[in-house]
Amino acid sequence: MNKQLLASVILVPFAVAAAMIALNQTLNMQLLASVILIPFAVASAAFLLEDLKQIGRVVAFLSWMQLGLIALIVYPLFAGQTERLWLSADFYLTRMDACFVLLTGVVASCALTHGHLFYQREMLAERPPTEKSVRFNYMFAMFFVLAMYAVYLCKNLGWLWICVEFTTLLSAPLVFFSRTKHALEATWKYLIICSVGISFALLGTLFIFASGQHGAVSGGTLRIDELIAIAPKLDPRLLRFGFIFCLLGYGTKAGMFPLHSWLPDAHSEAPAPSSALLSGSLLNCALFSIWRISEVVAASQTSTLMSNVTVWLGTITVLAASLFLIRQYSLKRLFAYSSIENVGVMLVAIGLNAGWLFFLQAVNHSIAKVSLFLLSGNIVQATGKKNLPQQTGLMASAPVWAVLMTMSAFAGTGAPPFGTFLSEWLILMKAMDQHYYVNVALVIIGLSLSFIVVCKHIGKIILGAPNPNLQYFRPLASSAIPALLVISSLCLGLFSGAALWSGTL
Amino acid sequence: MLVTVYEVIGIMSAVVAVLMLGSRNVQIQLSMYAIQIWLIVAETAFFAWQYKQPHFYIIALTLLLQRAILVPLFLHGIARRLNVTRDPGMIVPAPLTMHLSVLLFGLSFFVGQHLPMPSAVSGPIVIASATGSISHLFSGLVMMLTRRLALSQIVGFLTLENGVYLFALSQTDGLPLLMEMAVFIDILGAVMIAGVLMFSIKKSFEHIDVSRLKELKH
Repeated sequence: MNKQLLASVILVPFAVAAAMIALNQTLNMQLLASVILIPFAVASAAFLLEDLKQIGRVVAFLSWMQLGLIALIVYPLFAGQTERLWLSADFYLTRMDACFVLLTGVVASCALTHGHLFYQREMLAERPPTEKSVRFNYMFAMFFVLAMYAVYLCKNLGWLWICVEFTTLLSAPLVFFSRTKHALEATWKYLIICSVGISFALLGTLFIFASGQHGAVSGGTLRIDELIAIAPKLDPRLLRFGFIFCLLGYGTKAGMFPLHSWLPDAHSEAPAPSSALLSGSLLNCALFSIWRISEVVAASQTSTLMSNVTVWLGTITVLAASLFLIRQYSLKRLFAYSSIENVGVMLVAIGLNAGWLFFLQAVNHSIAKVSLFLLSGNIVQATGKKNLPQQTGLMASAPVWAVLMTMSAFAGTGAPPFGTFLSEWLILMKAMDQHYYVNVALVIIGLSLSFIVVCKHIGKIILGAPNPNLQYFRPLASSAIPALLVISSLCLGLFSGAALWSGTL
Repeated sequence: MLVTVYEVIGIMSAVVAVLMLGSRNVQIQLSMYAIQIWLIVAETAFFAWQYKQPHFYIIALTLLLQRAILVPLFLHGIARRLNVTRDPGMIVPAPLTMHLSVLLFGLSFFVGQHLPMPSAVSGPIVIASATGSISHLFSGLVMMLTRRLALSQIVGFLTLENGVYLFALSQTDGLPLLMEMAVFIDILGAVMIAGVLMFSIKKSFEHIDVSRLKELKH
């Protein structure tokens, strides 16, 4: 019975695709329909299948299949066959968006594949979660990923806002997974702070809408390409207001410094695969929204002031995060603050109006951070403790994890030869070119400080006598995905570096 | 200064939002919120009638069903089932926050005067409605910052959203219909999830005083 059910669930997307062939739709529309239907297939699987193991397998398989379908859809963009994958004037993909969509897909598939193992192990814990919460978690994770894909598709500031708010709503249940007091507190903070922040982004969007209504376009517009085309005619005062409000609003969701207080709580209280999703892909979504709006501002008259504001906010975020890193007692909070630091670096890249550098940093950060969060999930599960002092002796007790953890930590803090070093180096070079000397100095101080501090914390848990509380489990399966990610980070550092120095990139 | 009827309703709604801050009783707060949103519905309908924008009737109807009927009933139900009656408030006593909001109302008038936004539909007279919407924003923020109960924070959040909605209506002649609907659904979703969370907070902590949720620190 179960097997048949499983098969039918997986076949749903294909069946619909076949139906659409019958309806004479284009190939891309069929693929797109399958991509959209996959979360629904997962939702039905999560509630129809009895065995949690099976659900995990279905989710892992379907998430990779979704990524494959997306790769098929966006292939023409990379093969140079087309500039834009058109859906409507409000929704289309360019090559940059496609890169981000693929990144989100990779992060989601890795996190959910590892999640298969994670939730199995979680059921054996001292206080296991209820089966229902695991089922809900899988379902919300898939819809959350779909909402994130939609963010990159939006070429209209209004729809962009709606999709970003949907990511908040769909990820709140992920944070609430363990149903403990701490998780409750983290979820409440996350939902309220992000919703209020996002309200200000809506206000900013309205200001930008109004800025186009005075002589530029009758009735105004929220479409990005139209706004860029008429940017010099936009009312500069309103545009400035709009940008500031959007920066604050989406910045709240990205964990920009004075508004970051929810981020370490949410990222540390969510289960490890969800932390990886939040850190590896949701932060990119929020930053991408800022980048979208900064594109409009860059084309207008007030661009210098705005890039100054963004670069300075980024610099302050890097500095503040590295200071917060010093006194951390929990592994996942440590990585959450390290994410905030990387958000600062990406904000600097956005302020410099360097889209590709922003993407490069986003890829490198996401890969390293997903690996770090998944490994820290393993370690927390194996020791049963969240705090750093109880997780020592990793090298002696769990050598594979220890090696991977060290390498990912290097990758996450921007040490050579990993990809992060390269992207941070390029961003700093670009900042020097544009005469942000003070900012470069401050960012370098922040980055070095955080490198030292993270090394210190990681060193403490790697070294030491074997840990009697640590139950090393399934070393191969539990390190497969992190190992894959570390190797890709290394490859990104080595090969894109080589391409860069030889001038082919 | 020439003021149209729909602007008068907007200002009245903002005044109700300011008065809402003066009460510590949760039921009174909720009733004040209901009056405030009913006025906004009336304003939307008036706007649709006065400037012949028929799609605003649909928006007014959605607002009426969703935020003026569904949400207040939902919040009333929560207040009754969780048995909360008074919000002790924090930092500043409740009456003082109302006075603060009165001052912020004045500030909103000042800001509204300086916003260069003659509207395409309703002509150049938008100072009063700008004042109304910005004052809503301030009242909502003050409410969220100075109240302890999760429920009051939600009411503050909704007041803030009302401000954003009024701003869209008066300053940009509203977002496109479909988009406005999606925004409403988003906000309704946030309120519903917050409502579910409130039950869990009550169950695990035996109170819904969010100022006492302080276990997670750096």
